[in-house]
Amino acid sequence: MNALLKKEMRLSAMLLTYLFIGFGLMALLPGYPILCGVFFITLGIYQSFQNAREANDILYSTLLPVAKRDVVKGKYQFVILIELCGFTVMAMMTILRMTILADSPVYRQNVLMNANPFFLGMVLLIFGLFNVIFLGGFFKTAYSIGKPFLIYIFAAFLTIGLAETLHHIPGLSALNAFGFDHIVLQISLFLCGILIYAALTWLSYRKACTDFDKIDL
Amino acid sequence: MNVVEVTNICKTYPAFFLNRVSFSLEGGKITGFIGRNGAGKTTTIKSMLNLVHTDSGEIAYFGMPLIGHETEIKQRIGYSTGTISWYPRKTIHEIVDVTKTFYTHWDEEAYRRYMTLFNLDESKKPIELSEGMKVKFNLLLALSHGAEVLILDEPTSGLDPFSRDELLELFTTLKEHGVTILFSTHITSDLERCADNIIYISHGEIRAACSKDEFMENYGQPGDTLEEIFLRQEREERK
Repeated sequence: MNALLKKEMRLSAMLLTYLFIGFGLMALLPGYPILCGVFFITLGIYQSFQNAREANDILYSTLLPVAKRDVVKGKYQFVILIELCGFTVMAMMTILRMTILADSPVYRQNVLMNANPFFLGMVLLIFGLFNVIFLGGFFKTAYSIGKPFLIYIFAAFLTIGLAETLHHIPGLSALNAFGFDHIVLQISLFLCGILIYAALTWLSYRKACTDFDKIDL
Repeated sequence: MNVVEVTNICKTYPAFFLNRVSFSLEGGKITGFIGRNGAGKTTTIKSMLNLVHTDSGEIAYFGMPLIGHETEIKQRIGYSTGTISWYPRKTIHEIVDVTKTFYTHWDEEAYRRYMTLFNLDESKKPIELSEGMKVKFNLLLALSHGAEVLILDEPTSGLDPFSRDELLELFTTLKEHGVTILFSTHITSDLERCADNIIYISHGEIRAACSKDEFMENYGQPGDTLEEIFLRQEREERK
């Protein structure tokens, strides 16, 4: 583990951020918009940013013998780590729902979104939106967290609403596949989620480096 | 030999500008940086740490320009301020444990020595420290990685007279070991005790950058203290 990620985890992060990874378990809830679990995980990350701002973390990090670009890298590494932990929990719950719980009546009779590879793709899309809107927005000022988080909330819930609606549209019911039904389509959508996440995070990181470099602290 | 060279730095803000600030820091000497609030001391110091982007000018340490050698230079310099508290709810032990991994020349023995000298307790958190102890903690971090140049922004503010005296003695000892110190303060009596050189800034411009004796001779009258000279200069400036 590099020194900056260690610093993020030990000095900047709040315990709440780690605990909120547990919201990935929401993927098991029947009759609940399970994508909200992603929002709670990002809410946990937001708490760490709030804590870091109060602790003068950005200034401290910039004074360390590292390039300004590395300060940005450390934050991105930390956020990606938490997101991937949350994603792993959600993926495990999804596998559970696709296999031994595939025929469970509580999930079969669920009008809301099912946990399947398309759901995991949407999880990654929302994490990608968080990285672009919140993380990228934060590095424009290195102190303002409220405005980018509010914009992210709007985008996240719009995406959740859209994801919950899509499978009710005639012809799109395959999005809500159970077990291994429509697996090729499902895996393709999941792969799209991975690509979108990687692209959004990379673009956001590049822009954040440029923006942060211009800031006077 | 000069270890730090600041050449013609300019920085414009809507209501203030730093105008062609130039000075150098002589190796193994203590340089006092004086000026009233808002004169440009902090902007200059922040420029020297690359926290503020200058419009023009150059800053070099050990013959290397800051831009392009920032990481290497930051390994060899230390910064401390009396006004900022880092990670107020983490213990000193936690902060130090993480911080030392960034420095290739972290000196654990020096760290222990200064912990004892400053009477700091590793299990305490910055939020539990008095203002003076916070200054000492910041200094501890700067001193434990064997910094060759110390940039200190108001390091004695908030300290009781005994602690201040202790600190000034420490600066003198560090100087004897070849450490270069830039010391911004408005407690001019501190500079009278330990400074070799004086940089005087007013309205974003350097008015004097010379040895303390020259400064006293050129700007003062017989029997004047540094504070009296400083106040007279500022009054004349206002007229």
